[in-house]
Amino acid sequence: MSDQASTIMVNTLEPQSGTTLTVGKTGQNLVVNADSLKANVVKDAGGNAIFTSDGSGTLSGVNSAFGSAVVLIQSQTASNSASISFTSGIDSTYEEYLFKFVNINPATNETEFTFQVNATSQSGYNEEITSSAMKARYTENGSTAVWEYATDMDQNQGTAYQWMSEDTGNEADASYSGQLHMYNLGSTSKVKNFIVRGQDDLGDQAKDISVAGFINVTAAIDDVQFKMSSGNFDGTIKMYGIK
Amino acid sequence: MPRFKMVDGVSIQLTSAEETARDNEEAAWAAGEDDRALASMREDRNRRLADTDWYGSSDLTMSADMTTYRQDLRDLPSGKTTKAHVDAATWPTKPAA
Repeated sequence: MSDQASTIMVNTLEPQSGTTLTVGKTGQNLVVNADSLKANVVKDAGGNAIFTSDGSGTLSGVNSAFGSAVVLIQSQTASNSASISFTSGIDSTYEEYLFKFVNINPATNETEFTFQVNATSQSGYNEEITSSAMKARYTENGSTAVWEYATDMDQNQGTAYQWMSEDTGNEADASYSGQLHMYNLGSTSKVKNFIVRGQDDLGDQAKDISVAGFINVTAAIDDVQFKMSSGNFDGTIKMYGIK
Repeated sequence: MPRFKMVDGVSIQLTSAEETARDNEEAAWAAGEDDRALASMREDRNRRLADTDWYGSSDLTMSADMTTYRQDLRDLPSGKTTKAHVDAATWPTKPAA
C-alpha cells in the first residue's frame, strides 16, 4: 500500500500493538465526513472524559463544565412523613437556592403545604416572615375564573409556617407541584427574599398560587423545613444551588 | 401510630416532645376549620359583589334581578357557622344584567 494513497478502503483499522490507534500528528486536523461518529467516551487531547455513555443512550458522565450553573444538592422523598428538613448543604456557596416540589400529596384533605426556616445558632423553625400571595383559579366546568389576593396566605412579621398551597386535595390523583426560590441564605447582612410559584389541585379546579416575601433576619439560614398544615404527606423535594 | 420525619434523606421517628407539638398544631388547625371555611366564603362573596359594583354607578339603573342577586350574596353567610354549612350553601346565580 502506498504511503501517499489518497483513499484507503478497509473495513477495520486497529493498532498493531496495544490499545491505542493514532491518526494524524500534532498540528494536523482530523476531519470526519461521515454522518455520525460512534463512541461511548469522548475525551480531550489530555485524555480527560468530556462525555461518557453506557452505549444504550444514557450519559453516565458529563464534564462538570456543562450545566454547572444549577447544581442538585439534595433530593428527599417523603412517604407518609410528617416533615422534610434540609439541614446540610445550605451556606454562602450559592446566592440562590431552588426547591422543586414534585407531586406533594397530603394524607389529610384540604391542607396546606408550608415551609419555615431556622437561622444559624437559633432553635426552632420560627423566623419572622412578611409575605403576600395571589391565586388564580379556574374550575373544570368553567363556572369560576378568578384572580385574587389570597388573604389567608399572607403574613406580616408572623412566625407561622408560610403557606405555599391552599386546600390541597388528598385524592390519589391530586397533588401540589411547584418551586420555591430563596436568596442570600448564607448572608449575614441581608434579609432573605423568597418567591413561590405552584399549581395546587383540589378536586375540580386548577389553582395557580404565587407567594413572595422575605424572612426578616440578617443571620444566615441553614435549615429549611417543609410540612403540611396538618397530617403527613408523600412527595419529592429537590434542593438545587444556583451559581 | 408514631410519626416520622425526613432529615437530609434519613427517616427519623419524632420524639415525644415533637409528637406533642405536632398533635397541638393539628388540633389547632382542626379547630380553625369552620373559621377558615366561613372566611373563604366571605372572601368569595365579596369578590362576586365587587364584580357587580359597577351596576350601581350613578349613570346606570340597577335591574331588580341584579338587586336581588346582590342582596342574596350579602345574606349568604347568615346563619352559617360550620364548614358543613359552607359546603352545602347554594350560591345565587348572577343575572345577565
